[in-house]
Amino acid sequence: MKEGQEVQLHLTGSTTINAKRERVFQLLTDPSFIATTLPDAVEVALISSSIKVRLRITDRVPPSSARLLAEGSGSGSNLKIISTFSLEGDGTTTTRLSWVADAEITGLMAGLGSLVLRGFAEKKVGEIFAGITKGIEGAGR
Amino acid sequence: MEPLFESSVKEVSRLVGLQEKELALLEVADRAANELVVSEFEKYIERKFNAKVPEVLRKHDLMGVPISERYGGRGARQLLQSLFMERLGQLGLGVITFTDVHQCLGSLTIQDWGNEEQKKRYLTRAASGDAILAYALTEPEAGSDPVSIKTTYTRDGSGFRISGEKYLISNGSIASNLIVFAYPKGIPRGLTAFIVDSKEAGFSVDMKLEEKMGLFTSDTALLSFDGVRVPKEDMLGQEGKGLHVAYSALLNGRLGVASGCLGVMEDCLNQVKERATTRMQHGKLIGKHQLIQRHIATIASNLESSRWLVYRAALKKSEAEKSPSDLGLRLEADRQTAIAKYVSSRLAFDSADRAVQVFGGFGYSTVSPVAKHLVDTRVARIYEGTDEIMELKIASSILGKEFEAYG
Repeated sequence: MKEGQEVQLHLTGSTTINAKRERVFQLLTDPSFIATTLPDAVEVALISSSIKVRLRITDRVPPSSARLLAEGSGSGSNLKIISTFSLEGDGTTTTRLSWVADAEITGLMAGLGSLVLRGFAEKKVGEIFAGITKGIEGAGR
Repeated sequence: MEPLFESSVKEVSRLVGLQEKELALLEVADRAANELVVSEFEKYIERKFNAKVPEVLRKHDLMGVPISERYGGRGARQLLQSLFMERLGQLGLGVITFTDVHQCLGSLTIQDWGNEEQKKRYLTRAASGDAILAYALTEPEAGSDPVSIKTTYTRDGSGFRISGEKYLISNGSIASNLIVFAYPKGIPRGLTAFIVDSKEAGFSVDMKLEEKMGLFTSDTALLSFDGVRVPKEDMLGQEGKGLHVAYSALLNGRLGVASGCLGVMEDCLNQVKERATTRMQHGKLIGKHQLIQRHIATIASNLESSRWLVYRAALKKSEAEKSPSDLGLRLEADRQTAIAKYVSSRLAFDSADRAVQVFGGFGYSTVSPVAKHLVDTRVARIYEGTDEIMELKIASSILGKEFEAYG
């Protein structure tokens, strides 16, 4: 462990998207598409600053799962997220998207504590997936 | 359930006994408090009233916790009300101030002093959240001394007209109804309480008071009453008995604040525990530095020292309410409430100060989770009876009535 503070969060969630699994997978692993669905997802309004985050998609297993790595720093804080999402289709046009994410936060932002960070992260993740869902459903089949 | 709160609930349940439905209410309170964490933090940073508080409490049917079930409330006894306020107190005194004023100073006062018509009219709406209540006693020149109040009322046909100013009124600009205290015009005796509708002509919010040291998510206002009409049905209690109404309301509010301070200390303890076990300095976790451990030990001791005083006062208050003719019991409940509020507000402030110290430089930032407790708890030593008023009450309860500072 390094000098300073480190907060770790474990988040899980799921949502249903009205699109075929193959289509959802294709769009979820397309960084340029994802970027259009995340308007202010990385903005940390709490400390009036933002952290620039780099996203990387790995371990693609079409059309069922992939890993999304996010890493960023700024305003005296560092953020690292490792998340895995999985897709389950029902053979029609509906896909169940489930995700698991482990976040590691260090620096000033860690000082906010896990109570606020967890609540804030859950709220933001909810907004992000709502944006992704809307983006996929609006992107046509 | 949040672990520190859960341990309180279990211990109280073991020693005193809590019914299934009381435990269920506390589970709901725990969920509501969790839902408010982010909005309360965001609004604190924005320095704005957190409108999510009434919204979430309404959603969980928690706006009328102490109001009798007969009027749509949860019918909580004082001990349950204290545990409920303890859980909300973890969010900070902004949430406590809103809830204490609406439920303890507002609803309970109407429940204690109102006639059946008033209870039906106001308590049902307060319990559902359709009405938000405020308590308007303090004036620019009348703080701890309500006898100095300058607001007056005159008779006007079948009702009254109220004129004057009320200062530092929590929920003042958001309340639908306010309990207002006034003297008959030209006679500085016979203080009387009224329930005033904020939509009546002549009522205005002169100023939202935002230049506060803390308590940013609580609404505070300077209010003006310019011949505001009050129907005769809305006099609260008997004419001339307003001081009794005012003091009993303050007793209710005082215990609410004391209970909220327990939650503040719990949050301070949670925050310093996390900080001490995740932050490294000088090559080791700061929790391994013994001087940090001293602060943590003191916060934990502060919490335990206050907790049982608050519960004891709550139990005594319920006991006194069951025997309204027993003056000795009422005075004892009053004394224990004063001690509980005096101790818990001071120890909450001390705990917040220590929590800031454990957080170091970041603790001084207004976005740290503990700085708000430091600036917010300062007011707990002032409102609903200052430290000094509590000391006078406690001392005279020992020395006797002839030693009361204000006869």
